[in-house]
Order: sequence, then structure tokens, then C-alpha cells
Amino acid sequence: MKRRDFLKAGTAGSAFALSGLTTLVPRLAMAATVNVNLVAEGAYKTMADGVSLFTWQFRDTGGTGPGALTSGLVVQEGDSVNVTVTNNVDRSIRFSMDGVSMSTTSSVSPGSSRTYSFTAPAAGTYMYTDNRNGEIGRAMGLAGPMVVMPADGSSRLYNGGPNFDRQYTLVMSDFDDRLNSAVENGQSYNMANYEPNYYFANGLAYPDTASDSDTLITMGVGEDVAIRFVNAGAITYPMHFHGYHVNVATRNRSPETAVISKDTVQVERDECVDIILPVAQSGIFPLHTHYVPGVTANGNYPNGGLILMSAA
Amino acid sequence: MFNILKEPLMMHRRGGGGGGTTTPPPTTGGGRTFSYLTAPTSLTASMNSSLTMADGASLSTWVFSNGGGFNGDRSVPGPVVEANQGQNVQVTLNIGMMSSPHTIHFHGLDVNQQNDGVPATSFEVSGSYTYNFTAPHAGTYMYHCHVDTHQHFEMGMYGTVIIRPSDGSTTRAWNNGPTFDKEYLWHAMTFDSTWHSGGGGMGGMGGMGGGADPSSLVRYRPDYFTINGRDGANAQTDSTVAISAGAGQKVLIRVQGVGYQPAVVRLGGLSFEVIASDGRPLPNPINTTSQLVCAGERYDLLLTMPSSGQYTATMDYYDIRNSGVLGTATTTITVV
Repeated sequence: MKRRDFLKAGTAGSAFALSGLTTLVPRLAMAATVNVNLVAEGAYKTMADGVSLFTWQFRDTGGTGPGALTSGLVVQEGDSVNVTVTNNVDRSIRFSMDGVSMSTTSSVSPGSSRTYSFTAPAAGTYMYTDNRNGEIGRAMGLAGPMVVMPADGSSRLYNGGPNFDRQYTLVMSDFDDRLNSAVENGQSYNMANYEPNYYFANGLAYPDTASDSDTLITMGVGEDVAIRFVNAGAITYPMHFHGYHVNVATRNRSPETAVISKDTVQVERDECVDIILPVAQSGIFPLHTHYVPGVTANGNYPNGGLILMSAA
Repeated sequence: MFNILKEPLMMHRRGGGGGGTTTPPPTTGGGRTFSYLTAPTSLTASMNSSLTMADGASLSTWVFSNGGGFNGDRSVPGPVVEANQGQNVQVTLNIGMMSSPHTIHFHGLDVNQQNDGVPATSFEVSGSYTYNFTAPHAGTYMYHCHVDTHQHFEMGMYGTVIIRPSDGSTTRAWNNGPTFDKEYLWHAMTFDSTWHSGGGGMGGMGGMGGGADPSSLVRYRPDYFTINGRDGANAQTDSTVAISAGAGQKVLIRVQGVGYQPAVVRLGGLSFEVIASDGRPLPNPINTTSQLVCAGERYDLLLTMPSSGQYTATMDYYDIRNSGVLGTATTTITVV
């Protein structure tokens, strides 16, 4: 069976061409070739309070090979990955990923395409972004996750790392409507003034997070569930778990030297943090930033990047 | 259960009757520098208090109290609640007559869904409700209201739960854990005064506050930087904040990120050991001179007092982009 058969499709209306993932059954075959086609483009997104914001997104227009999916990139160590980016935004962008060596570091001009190739690196959680426009590309929505699974077919966060029964990816992000408005109107914006007023998990705001199968964390008592946090926003996300303590496993793919059990996990800007949640009780519990303004949409509560975990 | 997910904004309420349990007045003792309540106990929610800042400004506050708030002498934070590891803990929430509904979320205590205090997954309380859970691990925890949390927390509806070792020791951090001579509790908290006036903040006008006016609570811009509800010169001298202990004595400082801003705590250049976080011992204590404390986190710091001198401890509050300091609360550490 191919991995893609077990991955969920992307979420319609998402600010990003991405979302979490559910069960992944890795293949044991030889490294594959994965071709991905992304269109960077402007898109209007309706906020929970009805406001329409101009955003940017990477939209997956279909690819070939395992892992070429709308729900973010899920590949295996050693895969040959070719990402062709067509740029339909109003300025040059550059597809980039910390920890990944690309075939080119050139930008894509508006109206043209470029293919970025790389060999899938060590197992772990990565974030791709436009890094040509400072933080603005990411703050407008040009970001997404890449999950690399171990070459040996195991369900581990990294080689020799902790095993898990299921995994989810949660991309945390935010918008400052003043930035969106400035970009829409061709004006500049000083990111030092950035103060978000809309917040998301996998491009969704609560209660939509609770009806999306990639973002509602569904789990069984006794399982170890991996959650990969990807901070694509422009602020710190201190993620608080109701009901559970979790083990912090990696930060930006560096294994923690000692397992720390936490109920609140800092995720800095640009950071990817992997945790293992031992499911110790049943019930429905929230998972949210304790920067509580981040649980609103322009002041409306509860909203924003509030996630529910449901354990049976 | 999934009906809850389909109607996430539905308000579930418990209430009616019930004056709650009778609780003896707060006492101090052991190495504590603050008063406390022993579970089982009760907390009353009310929405007509205030907190005075060093510049004389009065912030309207919404509070949990039981014969007073923190240390019996300030409305915010709420009282400290203590219990022992393994104990069944009962805390009755009473809603004051002029108050809208509230809840208590026992942050970090991993209680069950019924007692988690989240309106969307359990219920709001009007009248009274007795929360019930078993304390799993000795350590530092928080409690706070989870109704319109961005507003109710900021208005002051939070406090500390300390879980003592199984034997109730007040000089040991956890069962077979490190010992200490003196114990401080630092709530790292900022206030945005505009969130306490007009808009949602109706507490100062006598009470029937409740639903936030969303448009007034969007961008959080703190202008007061406090420890234990005290700022400026008041934080430097407050008996629950300023550290005073003998040379060589071990001082446990339980630091809680109750405010929304990331905070960095320093003890005037003194080295300390970070021995626990979020109610769990660190597998390897960290020796350092500074510790970042994000919203919702707790860190237990063990300081061995130097031989002499006075030091200035600082709590720097960063913007949410973690790129610059917005303000600082300072206090003194004195070897006596």
C-alpha cells in the first residue's frame, strides 16, 4: 500500500495548502521520486467574524509519487523530491526549508516557475517557507510542513527516537489584518509593528479545528501519540495541554537530551517541536496557546488556534 | 460526547444552592512567605474588586477569594490552595450574587473532563460546584477561570495550587526530592490597563460584568509589569516577593507564567538550579542564571543564598514575538 492512501486530503478554505495528517503507514520499498507542484498565489479568506482578508498561500495542484499531497509533504528519508513552484504573487519568492539543502537558492519571479529539488533528509519535522521577503511571506501564509519518516519504515520521530501509534501535525499561524491590508494595497509594512488579531491551527480557527479530521486529535487510551508543532506564525506559541502531560522529544530536529514532562510547551517562531503524548485518560480536552488572546478571532472567544483532543 | 463538538459554543451550566464548605482563615507556616488554604476549601468569584498600582492607579479586578485574595492583603492573585500528593482534592466554587458564571480550570493537574472547568467541554458554574480530583504529583500548579479566558484571566481570576509531598512536608519539593528552608511564590503577570476599564471591564462599576465586548479586547498591550500583583517600588519591598534568607540557606522560588507575555527571570547574577517544571522534576536539574517562563509554564528554582550582600532580581517581560523587553519588575534578594 502506498502512503498516500492513508493520508487525508487537504482542507478546503485553509489559509495554507496544508493540514495535519493522521495515520501514516510507511513503505519499506526503495527511495521514491516525489514530484510536487505548488502555486503561490493570493487568496481571500473569510475570518470567523466575517471579515475577508487577503492572504497568500501555497496551493498544491497535484503531483506524482508517494507523499505528493495537498495535506503537506510526507516523504521518507532518501526520497528524491522535486517541488515546482509557480509564482502568482506580486513579487519574487524563494522556496526554502531550514535543514534541507536545495538544488537552487534562486528566486522565482512573478509569473514564472522554478523547480527546487532535494533528497529527503533525516527523519523529522520541517517547515517550508518563502524566505525572500523577510517574515512577510510567512506572515501572509506562504508556509507549510514537511514530515520525513525514517528509511527503515518504523513509526519513530527520528532514528532511534521514540515510537508512536499515531501522529498529527499542527501548524500554528496568525494574521495581523493591517499587514494583510497593506500587502493587498501594495503598501509596505514594518514587521516590528506586527501584532496579530487572528490565529489558526492548520489554517483553521475553532470550531472548524474540531470538525477537521486532521486537526481534531483523535486518540486511544494507552497510545503514544506524536504531535508535530510547526510555528509558521510570527509570535511565540506556548501550547498548553488540558488533561495530559507530554514528553518533549525534539526541537528543530535536535533530540532532547533528557525527556521533560510538560503541560505547556514553548514553540518559538520558526521552530518545529515534536512531542509524545501518552494518552493516560479518556475525555475531550482542549489544546491551546496560553497567550490567550490567541484563542480569539479579533477578540471573539473561543476561536483561533484552539484544538480539541478526543480520547476514547 | 461528540454533540459537544457539534455545538462548541453551547453553554452548559451547573448551579443553584450551596454555600460551599466552611474554611478556616488562611495561615502561614513552614518555610512559606505567603498564606494559604488547605483543601478541601472554597473560593468565591466576584467582579467588583480592585488592585492598586505603584503609580496610584486602581485597576478593576475580578477575583477568587476566601477571606481575601493572595496573602490576605490583595485581591489578585487569588489565594494559594494546598493539598498533598495522592489526596482527593475538593474545591468548591461559589459564584457571588452579582457575578456572571465562571469556572475553575486546574491547570496542569490533568483532572478529568467533568472537572476541567472548560465551558465548551464541561459546564459553566452559576451558584456553586465542587471540583474534585486527585493530586497526582507534588509540584506547582495554577488555577484560573476558563470563561472568556482572555478577559477573565487578565482581570485577575487566577491563583496557585501547591501539591506537597505525600507526607505533607513543607520543606521538601516532592517525595524524596530536594529540601529547602524558605519558599517564595512568584506570579509573573502583566496588566493592560485598557482591558480593565470600559469595554468588557465592568467590575469597577459594581458588577454585572460578563460577556466581553470583543472589539475592546483585541491587541494586548501591557503597561503594568508585576510580581504577585505588585509593581515598581512595591515589588521591591513586598514581603511575598523580596527574598530575605540567611547565608547558605536554600530558597525555593516557584515561578509561574500567569501573564500572557514571555518572562525571563534573573536573580541578580546569582546561579540557581531549575529543579522542576510544570509539576514534574527535571531529570537533570539545570544550573543557570536566567530562565524563560512562557505563559502557562511553571519553573521551580532552588537558590542557595550567598554568604552576604544584596542583589536585584529582575523579571523581564518580552513582547509576544520574543524580540524586545516591554517592561521589568524588580525585587531584592538580601542575605540576612
